[in-house]
Amino acid sequence: MIVIFSFLDWFWVGAFLLLMIGSGILFYRLGKRSSSDFFLAGRGLPWWLPASSVYATHTATDTPMWITGVIYQHGLAGIWYTFFSAWGAISSFVSTRIFRRSLAYTQAEWNVVRFSGLGSELLRGWMAGWQFFMNMFVLGWVGIAMGKICEFLFGWPTWIGLIAFSLVCAVYVLAAGYWGVVMADFQQGLIAFLVIIIVSFWGISEAGGPSGIIEKLTALGELDRINPFAFTGWWSGSFPTAWFATMLFIAILGGFGMGTSIDWYVEAQRIQSARTVRDASYSIWWGTLLGLVRNSVWAVSILAFFVLFPGLTSVEEYEMGWFRLGFDYLPAGMLGFFFAAILAIHLSTISSHLNLGALYATRDLYQHYVNPKASQEKLIVVGRISTVILLFGSFFYGLMMEDITSWLIFALWVMAAGIWLPNILQVVWWRFNAWGYLSAWIANLGFSWLVVWILPELGVIPELLDYQQFWLLMALGAVVFLPVTLFSEPEDMDHLVRYYIMSRPIGWWRPVRREAQRRGLLTASGDLNGISESALLKGNF
Amino acid sequence: MPIIRRQWTAAEADEWTREDWITIVISPLCYIAMTVGVALSVLLLWEGFVLLISSIALTVLMHWIIDPKLRAVSTEYETKQQDYLRELENNVRWQTTDKESP
Repeated sequence: MIVIFSFLDWFWVGAFLLLMIGSGILFYRLGKRSSSDFFLAGRGLPWWLPASSVYATHTATDTPMWITGVIYQHGLAGIWYTFFSAWGAISSFVSTRIFRRSLAYTQAEWNVVRFSGLGSELLRGWMAGWQFFMNMFVLGWVGIAMGKICEFLFGWPTWIGLIAFSLVCAVYVLAAGYWGVVMADFQQGLIAFLVIIIVSFWGISEAGGPSGIIEKLTALGELDRINPFAFTGWWSGSFPTAWFATMLFIAILGGFGMGTSIDWYVEAQRIQSARTVRDASYSIWWGTLLGLVRNSVWAVSILAFFVLFPGLTSVEEYEMGWFRLGFDYLPAGMLGFFFAAILAIHLSTISSHLNLGALYATRDLYQHYVNPKASQEKLIVVGRISTVILLFGSFFYGLMMEDITSWLIFALWVMAAGIWLPNILQVVWWRFNAWGYLSAWIANLGFSWLVVWILPELGVIPELLDYQQFWLLMALGAVVFLPVTLFSEPEDMDHLVRYYIMSRPIGWWRPVRREAQRRGLLTASGDLNGISESALLKGNF
Repeated sequence: MPIIRRQWTAAEADEWTREDWITIVISPLCYIAMTVGVALSVLLLWEGFVLLISSIALTVLMHWIIDPKLRAVSTEYETKQQDYLRELENNVRWQTTDKESP
């Protein structure tokens, strides 16, 4: 389809882009005050600002394509594919609270707060490098999704959509850093939510409203599509109950850990930008909830799309379904507003990953390993240079990607499956150490390639369903990291006691707690026994 | 002693207690009920409205349980934050704090 814009449509697009660039100019002075401002908005945000950023960042241009794909294939039951973000349910009150108390700028930095010695430094360097490239990778796949949308709408070559809008976004990220990101995210989140509601309900109305959708599904013999629990059997089929149960297991129990979802690394920045522990908890909880509500509204609108265009078999065709509802049915003058909302969805994700990738490069790589004495001005300059490197690197990655869904699922697997359990153990088990965690990461990189791509290709194992891959990768990882942990030394007890007093982790920490009590740092009831915090930090106990 | 405690001292709030575990159970239920409830409510199905109202009620209950504790944790922690931040900056710059004998 080729969409023709009127003057009013272009006005909406122009006004939105000016608003976003204006954010960068408006918050330029705040962003350059210090590296804490450039990357964490000075750690002073009320919960609703990072919450809106959580929501806006995870509403990317590829999100409606992906959700449309799973709902079109599986009906409302497909909504459980999107439920991975529910790790926020427990995390908001457990790992978010623990992470916020660590004050680490990034998950990489958290490694040296939780672990000690050479292992922790290796982990920090490894994770910082990995996250720098992972953010570039995310920028690439989100960017190419925008390229596909522009090709679909205007007939532009994909590289134009990939490059043009990311360049606009870079203006306010470079100018104001995280201040620009979070303030723009707030506006983008509002615009995106409003337009998602308008377009979705418009589409539902075009399909005859809720009753019309149900009537048409009945006529098509597809009424099961409104049942969120209509699976294809316990173990077999394209969407068995075992996969649903696995998804709930991964998502919900994953909240006890840090990094059990790819989104954690983005949320970690939002958690640290919140002004208190309470604000951090609510930012994750409400931001996630808003995303789930959005998914549900989207899902019903895709049912509307299904009854309007049943029988599509090409993924490329039906994954654009939600966009088609807007561009096929919205009246002239609203199309530009819809496209501005798509830009909002796009820019919020791009800006967050630009700033986050730059944070890892600046804080964990440059400052910690290259120039520890760097001034605040120098750190901000390095942050801006890193942003530019990420931007151009993402263009390269984006042009390499063709099939968004398979890359997304593979990337989630690489990040989630084999290190899902270690990501929890590092939070809840005192004995888990840096070597165990590092070995889990390295083993997982190898195992995920083998299980997902190489062994099925060679015919050594059959092609496994997603949930089977998860359990296999988790078991294979455990075969490596458990022996490594148990045959290597525990972390230094002084370090663990300091970490325990500061973060108060949940789980199996009794030996550390007992040691803290033995040293007089805690009474049996758990309160600090008259020891000043600064004395504790200096090890004067 | 009430089933749900709503008055906390700073040190007590630092401990993981029954209130945390109740929240850990309720919170995923809120999400599940909200996800299904919104979708089915948009389709104007009565099951959807029941789930949606349940999820709102659970959300209110959860905040009623956990909010006093989170406030206490936050208030206590903010008083220590500057010391911890100084330590973090020392660490990133490879500066060690002076250790005295125990």
